[in-house]
Amino acid sequence: MKGVVFVELVRMAESVMGEDAVDEILDSADLESDGAFSSVGNYPCSELLTLVDAIGERLNAPVEALHEKFGNWMFGRFVEGYPIFFEGKTDGFGMLESIENEVHVEVRKLYPDVELPTFATERIGTDTLKMVYSSERPLHHFCRGMVESCMAHFEQEFTLQMTERPDDTRFCAEFLITKAA
Amino acid sequence: MFLGQQIAPSTGEVSRRRYARERKAREEAESLLEAKSRELFESNQRLQRLLGSLETAVKERTKELEEARSAAEAANEAKSIFLASISHEIRTPLNGILGMAQALEDSGLLREQRKLVELLRDSGNLLLSLINDVLDLSKIEAGKLDFEYIPYALTDLVESMQQQFGFRAREKGLDFEVHFSDRAKSVVRTDPVRLQQVVGNLLSNAIKFTTSGCVRLKVDLLPRSDGRARVVLTVSDTGPGIPKEQQAHLFQRFSQANSSITRQHGGTGLGLAISRQICELQGGTVTLRSDVGQGAAFAASLTVDVLADKDTTLQADAVGTTQPSLKGLKVLAAEDNKTNQIVLRHMLKKFDLSLTIVSDGAEAVQEWEKGEFDLILMDINMPGMDGIEATRQIRQCEYRNMSDPIPILAVSANAMVHQVAGYMSEGMSGHVPKPISRDTLATAMQSALRTRGVLP
Repeated sequence: MKGVVFVELVRMAESVMGEDAVDEILDSADLESDGAFSSVGNYPCSELLTLVDAIGERLNAPVEALHEKFGNWMFGRFVEGYPIFFEGKTDGFGMLESIENEVHVEVRKLYPDVELPTFATERIGTDTLKMVYSSERPLHHFCRGMVESCMAHFEQEFTLQMTERPDDTRFCAEFLITKAA
Repeated sequence: MFLGQQIAPSTGEVSRRRYARERKAREEAESLLEAKSRELFESNQRLQRLLGSLETAVKERTKELEEARSAAEAANEAKSIFLASISHEIRTPLNGILGMAQALEDSGLLREQRKLVELLRDSGNLLLSLINDVLDLSKIEAGKLDFEYIPYALTDLVESMQQQFGFRAREKGLDFEVHFSDRAKSVVRTDPVRLQQVVGNLLSNAIKFTTSGCVRLKVDLLPRSDGRARVVLTVSDTGPGIPKEQQAHLFQRFSQANSSITRQHGGTGLGLAISRQICELQGGTVTLRSDVGQGAAFAASLTVDVLADKDTTLQADAVGTTQPSLKGLKVLAAEDNKTNQIVLRHMLKKFDLSLTIVSDGAEAVQEWEKGEFDLILMDINMPGMDGIEATRQIRQCEYRNMSDPIPILAVSANAMVHQVAGYMSEGMSGHVPKPISRDTLATAMQSALRTRGVLP
């Protein structure tokens, strides 16, 4: 998994609990990388899950909610760092639909070996978008956070229903996003 | 809430552990980036090398193609020059043969002798038409067959065909019929020489292969939706007809319906191929309807612009048909070939004019300076100063003296369209192709003089 995700997780944690608390978590957690993350490096996804668990424990917060918050945070970074992907997008559905065929295409150009989740989208009527997340990693809550921030970014009132549908090999979840009238 | 308030980064000194972690992360990033950078550098080098070799390959290939193209162009050019010069070389002695035949005919011969001379003339004319066919074919192949579109009355076509073929048909005991539709009584924009060539070829074939009955020429003009029109010229005969299986070969070059025809009737088998090409280049074609014992009907069609009804050109025709006399004219001719000098003298004898012959361009300029001439006949290829240079000098001199230009007719076997256009741009007034026919020469002289105002 790309180092930038780890760097951002540490940055988010530091903004909430301070450097000292984060240092303690990094020191006590059993990490192969010793918590020395650089945005250009690659680290095992298990270290991300370990860290989120440790942060949750420390804050006494549910891990799913923490993943979601991290999703919100990452979307913010995304808006800041890659405005080009937002050009010509007028609503959240359009943006979500472009992940598979625009954003991921560019990501693959930079990192040919990258392992990306898939986001299959389908419009159901004019106001509902079905999006199916499928990945080797159990990051559907993180994904939910990103989707919520995306809709909010376009100032769209909405409801979101997430159903987990894991199969034997992959983590899958179906999101039903409906625009509020 | 667990993520409510954000905490400001601590301002104090960082711990040794944090420092070590940051440093480790930095070093890892540096080594990753260095590897990445080396990889980029190397792949850039590879691209540069590839680019270099591609450029070299493209340059080499372009050079090869360039060389192949200029070689092909040179070969083609050589072929054109060869054809033009062969055509010239053959036409020049032919001019002598045909001219002498004409002179002999005019010299009061016995009946027997006249027959011999006619044979001589016919053979010469046949040779001339063969040369013309081969030249036409090579022009078609080179895509250089030029058409000269001028207003032309279809009635004139019929008249000319009747003159040329009516006698030949009757001589063989055949009827020669012409059907001319009312619609065809129009003036069209077309190339009369090529049109006559096509119809003449069909008529000549029809007369050649028909032993009894009649040969019929039908002329029709069919309007098209785009405002242009289709001339359809049908030549039918009561000859033996052509078996279906042989019809396909007819329009191929050097091919006749079967080889025994060549033995019986002669010919190169180029006529129909050329006729069809001429029609196709003008938006039409030549088709055949025939079967054994049914005679044959060849229909030539081509697209023309209709200019007006026949009536409006009657005036022009009237002017065209008056034959002003050439009597008493002073003509200067430059011609180096002794035979051709004699031919010229005999040809012009009938017209009772005064003819001065010189044998090169320089002499022609000298003679002209005496200022006694009404018209110059100028050979092109002459030793010393050629006809083109002589014409240029005469025109320059006239320009300086502000005197009226004398009509100069190019008389040359170089009869390809682009060559003739070249003579005109050098200041010549017209062109008479060798072998010279008396009628063509007289008409060209008359029209050049009329333009000058020397003749009415």
